[in-house]
Amino acid sequence: MRYVLGRVAQAALVLLIAFTAAFVLLQAMPGDAIMIKFQNPELGLSPEQIARIRESYGADVPLVAQYGHTLLGFLGGDFGYSVVSGTPVSRLIADALPNTLVLALSGFVLAVVVAVALAVTATLSRFAWLGTALRALPSLFVSVPVFWLGIMLVQLFSFQLGLVSVINPGPIEGLILPVLTLAVPISAPLAQILLRSFDEIGAQPFVAVVRARGAGAGWVLGRNVLRNALLPTLTMAGLLFGELIGGAVVTETVFGRAGIGRITEQAVSQQDTPVLQAVVLLSALVFVVINLVVDLLYPVLDPRLRSTVRGRKAVSA
Amino acid sequence: MSRITRPLGATAAVIAASLVLMGCSSAEPSGEGAAAGEPVVGGTLQYLEHQAHTSLYPPAGGFYPNGGILNNITDRLVYQNPETLEFEPWLAESWESNDDATEYTFHLRDDVTFSDGTPLDAQVVADNFDLYGLGDQDRALTVSEAINNYDSSEVVDDSTVVFRFSAPSPGFLQATSTINSGIVAESTLELDLEGYGPGNSDAVVGTGPFTVGDEEIGASLTLDAREDYAWAPESWDNQGRPYVDAVQITVTPEDSVRVGALLAGQADVIRYVEAQDEPQLAVDGFSIYAPQTNGVNNSLSLRFRNPLLEDIRVRQALLAGIDRQEVVDTIYTDNYPLATSVLSSTALGYLDESDALGFDPERAEELLDEAGWTVGSDGIREKDGERLTLVVNEAAPQPRSFEALTLISQQLAKVGVDLQILKADAGSYAEAILDADQVQLYHSMVGRADLDVIKSQYYSSNRNTLLNWDSSDDSIGDAKLEELLEAVSTEADPDKRVEASQAVQRYLIEQAYVIPLFEEPQVYGASDAVHGLGFESVARPSFAQTWVQR
Repeated sequence: MRYVLGRVAQAALVLLIAFTAAFVLLQAMPGDAIMIKFQNPELGLSPEQIARIRESYGADVPLVAQYGHTLLGFLGGDFGYSVVSGTPVSRLIADALPNTLVLALSGFVLAVVVAVALAVTATLSRFAWLGTALRALPSLFVSVPVFWLGIMLVQLFSFQLGLVSVINPGPIEGLILPVLTLAVPISAPLAQILLRSFDEIGAQPFVAVVRARGAGAGWVLGRNVLRNALLPTLTMAGLLFGELIGGAVVTETVFGRAGIGRITEQAVSQQDTPVLQAVVLLSALVFVVINLVVDLLYPVLDPRLRSTVRGRKAVSA
Repeated sequence: MSRITRPLGATAAVIAASLVLMGCSSAEPSGEGAAAGEPVVGGTLQYLEHQAHTSLYPPAGGFYPNGGILNNITDRLVYQNPETLEFEPWLAESWESNDDATEYTFHLRDDVTFSDGTPLDAQVVADNFDLYGLGDQDRALTVSEAINNYDSSEVVDDSTVVFRFSAPSPGFLQATSTINSGIVAESTLELDLEGYGPGNSDAVVGTGPFTVGDEEIGASLTLDAREDYAWAPESWDNQGRPYVDAVQITVTPEDSVRVGALLAGQADVIRYVEAQDEPQLAVDGFSIYAPQTNGVNNSLSLRFRNPLLEDIRVRQALLAGIDRQEVVDTIYTDNYPLATSVLSSTALGYLDESDALGFDPERAEELLDEAGWTVGSDGIREKDGERLTLVVNEAAPQPRSFEALTLISQQLAKVGVDLQILKADAGSYAEAILDADQVQLYHSMVGRADLDVIKSQYYSSNRNTLLNWDSSDDSIGDAKLEELLEAVSTEADPDKRVEASQAVQRYLIEQAYVIPLFEEPQVYGASDAVHGLGFESVARPSFAQTWVQR
């Protein structure tokens, strides 16, 4: 229990550091959203008018005070307003998050299924050529740019074959292609790790012993190798979540889906600090939670780690 | 200013309707002509936008995604016919102004209601212009760029309102016809900038043919037809409710997906077809609409107060050293006509200056030699140890700005000028374009179908694209230019106003302050099932007369 509490405290500290770093970096960038929006020559505002607008946004308050104010706001669930559109950031995030969660989770699940299927088939295949071909696939997948894949999938399945619509599709219909687009590049490193683990563990003495006792290839893989291969894969899966966020930016833009990725893309291009601050914190939160879950899962999966945990109270990812 | 009093006659409307049944001629599709049959009522038009809208505060309507929505949910006092650029009654039945254009009186229709049921009266119209003319900095609501010298309003009776100006404001009548002057209800006027933002769009209430329905922030927005709409401008063929039941606006940022979706029949109309994608739509069943924006051309403003550009010979050399025809032929299509003046040839007051805009690289080299810039070892000219390196901004909102500037940079390199293109994050960019030391050539355009447009672009307290006004020491570099521009916006006599605009056009080219490139259109693609797609005078779509033959 103390271990868990310690890990949670550590996670909170990481979040605070991420928040502070984001704040400092965003402030250090040249210009700000108010300037981009109101100093735009198209509005023809006088310096006095701009000064009054800056004042009404509280942009000229000392940075330390702004930091304190923003931090308190975040703790109280008040993320401020988008400078570009004026919409409350909490509203933007609340509207976008479910879309992105569904997309990311479906993409992730599909990626895991594809990776496991690929690795198992490649390992168990009786035909050497099939195994070789399948083993080459992840390297191909990993080097496919997400935006290119998305556009190709849209062109083929939607525009040429007319199987799914990308414009105002149904909820499920609208997920098919984006999920595929997102899953392919995520599945590749997972499959690579699994394949390598299968090979390494398959070469270990205990596997030879099990085989010697007459176990079939499938039995060995399912009962012995797979369980042992899960640990590195799980670590990788946690790290890959970053890919999901990056992938969502591209996928949501290509498919015109509302979501965190789109918000991020728009906020970055307009330097919309309040939105960016919230997005950074959200991403950090997701990372921290996933890594926490992964760490807590280790002892569950591997009995050897349980004693280590009690002994040293720390397992690093 | 002429006095116009034109009661809406039913006969006139019917004749007008039958005359314009063929639809928009200025924006006539370049593909198969749309054969107009009997309009079909009902259905949803699928419209794909390039960017998400950011605000429905009418003065923010210059941004196309904002303007595209506002144009359909709000009406204006006066309608500017996009083909003739003449004015017609809309919410105002008639209007008049005094001789020096400092006082305007509008007589309103008495049968108009907002979509929330409240009636349109003189008070609400006065309140609209008080906000647009004066702004409200405490709510971060800016003054409308179209309105100059606004002073006050006066409600004479329920249907009569008077606006007064601190100086002559001959552009005000046209200003009332722009999207920036869309009339909204009292409840909408009370909103702050947040209230006009995405997610709250249905709170923006107008008298227009459509109202805002469902909205998904940043992704889609539905415009629902107003069944009781009955106050269309008389030149519209549709005098009643919109033909379609709804317009579904979907934000689709990826160019290839917009074009592909249109070709695959998943969309009816798309905005922002890039020049390189136009050939894909040159097939049966699809049309390209390229309505002009009728204002200051897509052009480069030369910041003449910067030491590098102080010498008129250097500026003239840049003008002579750029092969504008090659730029238009290589980067764009026929929908982007070569500019022949600072103003578009379809703009009011246009003066043909093509004689002064010829391409002459030898002359450019001569001029630079004369100015003391000699060719250095790497082919770039130098003077007193300084290289002739200039910076131009990539204008992200303008079509293919980077490609065009890249070609221009290659052309100028041949006469020994090093042209760098500024590509930067939004913050650095916003700072750089206001600093002549960082950006010497400013790439931009502005659309507005009024003579004032030229003042909007170059005047010190407007866009100030030449940086004639230096904000650091509050000084004006060229007082004559300021005077010429002031004349355009204050001269009450229409003919003299045109002369004033032409004097500015002549002066800007004479001084080589501006290098006009092309007349900028907004390019839309549509399926031929779509009929009656209209555009207002600066090319925002108008869906009230649109119908779809499925």
